Amino acid sequence: MANWFKKEDKKPRLTEEIYQTFRKSEDFICQFNKQAIRPYWICYQRNIIDTKTINEQILPYLLYAKVYSIRDLKAIIPNKEIVISKNPREIEDKILQGSIMIQFHKSDGYCALVDAVKFEKRSVNSPEVEFSVTGPKEAFVESLDTNLNLIRKRLPVPELRVKELTVGKLSKTKVAVVYIEDIVEKENVQTVLQRISDIDFDQISDSSYISQMIVDNTNSPFPQMLETERPDRVASVLVEGKVVVLSEGSPQAIITPTTLVEFFSSFEDYFLNWYIASFVRLLRLFSVIFSILITPIYVAVLTYHHELIPRDLLATLVISRREVPLPPILEALFLEIVIELLREAGARLPAKVGQTIGIVGGIVIGTASVEAGLTSNVLLIMVALAALASFTTPVYTMGNTIRIIRFPFLIFSQLWGLIGIVLCFCFLLAHLIRLTSLGRPFLEPIYPLRVGDLKDAFIRLPYSQLAKRPGYLRPEDKKRFNQKKAETKKDIDE
Amino acid sequence: MERIKESFLVSPIFVFFLIHSMQVGVGMLGFQRIIAKSAGYDSWISVILAGVAVHIIVWIIYKILDYSGGDVVDVHKEIFGKWIGGLLSLLFILYLMALAVTVLRSYIEVIQVWMFPEFNSWVFGFFTIVLAYYIILGGFRTVTGISFFSIVLPLYILLLVFFPLDYGHVRNLLPIMNHSVTEIARGTKDMSLSIMGFEALLLFYPFIKNPPKSQKWAHLGVLATTSLYLIASVTATMYFSADQIDKIIWATLTMFKSINMPFVERFEYVGIASWFLVILPNICIALWGAGRGIKKVFSVQQRKSLLWILPIVLVASSLIKSRQQIDMLSGYMANFGLYYIFAYIPILFIITLVVRKMREKK
Repeated sequence: MANWFKKEDKKPRLTEEIYQTFRKSEDFICQFNKQAIRPYWICYQRNIIDTKTINEQILPYLLYAKVYSIRDLKAIIPNKEIVISKNPREIEDKILQGSIMIQFHKSDGYCALVDAVKFEKRSVNSPEVEFSVTGPKEAFVESLDTNLNLIRKRLPVPELRVKELTVGKLSKTKVAVVYIEDIVEKENVQTVLQRISDIDFDQISDSSYISQMIVDNTNSPFPQMLETERPDRVASVLVEGKVVVLSEGSPQAIITPTTLVEFFSSFEDYFLNWYIASFVRLLRLFSVIFSILITPIYVAVLTYHHELIPRDLLATLVISRREVPLPPILEALFLEIVIELLREAGARLPAKVGQTIGIVGGIVIGTASVEAGLTSNVLLIMVALAALASFTTPVYTMGNTIRIIRFPFLIFSQLWGLIGIVLCFCFLLAHLIRLTSLGRPFLEPIYPLRVGDLKDAFIRLPYSQLAKRPGYLRPEDKKRFNQKKAETKKDIDE
Repeated sequence: MERIKESFLVSPIFVFFLIHSMQVGVGMLGFQRIIAKSAGYDSWISVILAGVAVHIIVWIIYKILDYSGGDVVDVHKEIFGKWIGGLLSLLFILYLMALAVTVLRSYIEVIQVWMFPEFNSWVFGFFTIVLAYYIILGGFRTVTGISFFSIVLPLYILLLVFFPLDYGHVRNLLPIMNHSVTEIARGTKDMSLSIMGFEALLLFYPFIKNPPKSQKWAHLGVLATTSLYLIASVTATMYFSADQIDKIIWATLTMFKSINMPFVERFEYVGIASWFLVILPNICIALWGAGRGIKKVFSVQQRKSLLWILPIVLVASSLIKSRQQIDMLSGYMANFGLYYIFAYIPILFIITLVVRKMREKK
């Protein structure tokens, strides 16, 4: 064993500099074994290698099998991807990706690179962000291969294509662009591939990095690409003709192009009866509008337009505000910020401590601030309802957007009352009209109006009506099934 | 003729929204008094006549532009040459700017009278102009989008017409033709300020996909406008007495007052606030057209020409202070618009016909 560490006298015939670079980190192992039938060098990055593979699948063959040249290894070592190379760049990359480098003593510079990678990963769990009561209960994990496996399992067709790219100068993150040939519009795929390969950044930690870097408008508070952790959702949008981007180390898939209404549809809508699904969707839409507008309207009405409220209702408001010394705008801002604080604290705290937040928020801040005369009961109820309503947004990123766009409305409502609210709304509207997702209008199917796409927007019609794929995707294959055939009805008593 | 790229064009159906939203504006809030001054309870006939006149002009505009395929700047250049044609185009551009000023200032006046007497027109004008700039930067498609939503979203107001009708008297409409033909014709003439705006079609025509097909949508848009004015006019006739109708300045807003719901009183506040969405396309389309016109006449970037136009509009609308000045401005605009639409455009049509015939002979 003593001669296993003689690195100084006999170096493997790696390019000198590669060897020097690697040796600087202490988890790089390079050993020379004389006792084998054919003496060999073996080098690897210790912590990304599966030692079991070395012991069981590589060493026995190296020690006892009769090998004459490096190419024989390919035949001898079973079940492993082996690359023979003498290109220093390739060797370096392969070692960093978890290959074992084997080189014979008297060699011509060629080495065998045996894949023995072992990455830690967690097993497939149930979705936590996009939870659904019914329906499949699996969510993506951090391993790209597992995620692709989850998608392939749901779409066992050869048309499902995966294009892999490497992004990030330092992180060398593998990014997969997934789509179904024959359905997807080619231009969309091209745009996505082009934009991803144009990314120039050193490190990609999550797919959200990519989605932020390839969106049409980076200065918009609105997410323009849908992020999901549900393989079932990914499979279903692929069938519609969308493009999905997955990245190594991220449990989120990016769906593009998308529209505003899609952010308010939960995937569970598709598991429920269409009446219920439509009802829930409309409820969500209403709750979003309510959540954005209710406090600004409160401020506008109490600051400028007392006349707007019928007398009986006004009495309630006045009584509840009798003790409050602050003007409505400060009162509203105070409560909104308290809610935001509670939410942020709740998100940052460990789950066990998190319960405290409920008590602090509910009892201490809620009741006590009313008793102390800082806010009125009515506003407290409104703000709480608005917060509750904003939680109904099924996509987390959109929920965040709704959190912040309420504040400009509040400021404008203080400035000019209802007119301010409408002015602010017009800014929002203009922004949404200008917004695109992968070059497709974000407000579709409302503007540009496409009646055909309205059947799966604010409401969801039964599947028998969803014969056509969404028009804004311009799918190559427009029909999901032949509606005429499905619609032939039998007469009574036939 | 330079072609506009396909991705910047709008479908023919949106011509409906463009024309309709451009015609409906602040005028809707109080046009009843102006036409009732001369036509009284028969003013609704004037509305119909004005609608018919607009249909004819729209037909003429399509005839002029279908042939050339470009916009009015191209037509001017083709018929009158570079200098006189450019001057005529410039006149149209100034007219559009003045239109934006009139709309903005009249709306601010409504706010000042009905909601906030101390309302600062500078600050509000500034925000409106910034909004218009943001919209126009998005291109013609965004402008069209705004005009689309400005019709779809305030549609709910149409349902509220039943509230004032509750207090209306159908007998007010009778007897029909109580006024002489000249009186009714004068009422029609007085409608001009309320119905103008559709002539912006002269500039956005090349931005329509398959323009000749859009003609029916344009006519439908005019029809929708006429029916809307007709509803407003008939409701006002039924709601107000003969003595009131020619004195109440904002008849539509006064009728909003009769709306009474369990959670909202004084609906006119909501109405005025919603009306901002209605006037927004007037300002945006006019200023878009002005910027586009300057781009074509002087060959400067539209982005840059807007940076001149918008401040001028802001300053002009803020300098107009008193009620008399606003009245004067809208009076001038009404007259100018009247002559431009009903005299200049038909004349232009005849001249183009003659010139084209002569050129064909050569």
